[in-house]
Amino acid sequence: MKASFIKAAEKGLASCHTCGKVSDVNLVDCPRCSSHLYLRKPHSIIRSIALMAAAAALYIPSHILPILTVTEFGQVTHNTIISGMISFWDTGAYPIAIVIFTASILIPFLKIGALSWLCAAATGKVNPSPSTLGKVYWLTELLGRWSMVDIFVVGILVSIVQLGNYMTIIPGPGALAFAAVVVLTMLAAMQFDPRLLWDRLDHINNDSPSSTELPNDS
Amino acid sequence: MLTWPKPGSHGKSACHFCDTLHDAIALKEGSAARCTRCDAVIYQNRPASLVRASAFSLTALILMVLTHLFPFLTMDVASLSRDLTLMGAANALIEADAPILGTSIILFTIVAPIILAGGILYVCSPLMFGKSPPIARHIAKWIYRTEPWNMVEVFILGVLVSLLKLAKVSEVQFDFGFWAFFGVMLCTAAAIAGIDRGELWDRLEVAEK
Repeated sequence: MKASFIKAAEKGLASCHTCGKVSDVNLVDCPRCSSHLYLRKPHSIIRSIALMAAAAALYIPSHILPILTVTEFGQVTHNTIISGMISFWDTGAYPIAIVIFTASILIPFLKIGALSWLCAAATGKVNPSPSTLGKVYWLTELLGRWSMVDIFVVGILVSIVQLGNYMTIIPGPGALAFAAVVVLTMLAAMQFDPRLLWDRLDHINNDSPSSTELPNDS
Repeated sequence: MLTWPKPGSHGKSACHFCDTLHDAIALKEGSAARCTRCDAVIYQNRPASLVRASAFSLTALILMVLTHLFPFLTMDVASLSRDLTLMGAANALIEADAPILGTSIILFTIVAPIILAGGILYVCSPLMFGKSPPIARHIAKWIYRTEPWNMVEVFILGVLVSLLKLAKVSEVQFDFGFWAFFGVMLCTAAAIAGIDRGELWDRLEVAEK
């Protein structure tokens, strides 16, 4: 099954990360857009893991620390992402509670989980099929940005609810931590190179070592 | 009229998911080439690509001006009238000692769509006449570098969530700025989807020769 598929890297060809042109990797820079040419993203897995570890570390404070501090008639309440979601649920706004749960709690968590799984698969720790993994990767790239919704809600509320003595809202430290989680998981997903998954598969299917050794930075 | 890739150019194309090497065959307008191994879309021939990308990005830029002239939401509470704009939200965060969050709103909802729509218009409209504008390659690089950071649609969702939160405090009305920004979302997405990345670079390469 494997024999009919030839990879660009096996021919010493690299497709440019910026413009997609396929050229000889020995040219060093892409002849079309002058970006540096790589067969695979350099240090893909180790960079992905580092960014993900940072995101995972910030995930906890982002949910414990308040993202909003509301002062209503002199009374101060601190809101976390989870307490905001629960208050929506209690008032019967179920769809919006589900949106917040998905965007703020589930997606970052799943993203960190999915990327760890992808990194494990690319280094051969687990062996699921690359096409399933490809879909997981595509989904994590697609969904990541939506987590930013909570940060925008904070900005919108802080801006519009400045009602003097009646009610004011200021951002809390949790918001910064959460924004960092979103940006770090996005960067981690960008660093990951899905082609490593297929390299791994070919490596397993091929008893003889591949003729061209691909850079593997596990 | 715009068949792409050029028949007989014998280009190669590699799948960016699994790196399988393919001959880049010419496609009819409106069809896509999929990887024979992993079924990912490798490149597409978008119909009337340059014209559509230019038209949608120009519309997006015009609507962007409107989003800064009109508020997104207006709210009246006890003789106080408050409204929401993008810069207002960013400024409020910066003044409330959250300069990083304020800057991120500016970058993700104001700067990123300008780079995308402005960049596509700058590169694609001269290409309609077979010309490549100065520093087109740098602009094209920045278009694709910026693409994942464009969060216009996420901000739209944020406005809707805020609206429901605010409904507890007071009556809130949508204003013209919101609808203009909704248009920015649709037009920016249409402009990016309007031309394949590979086609844009190929046409740039041909025009520069």
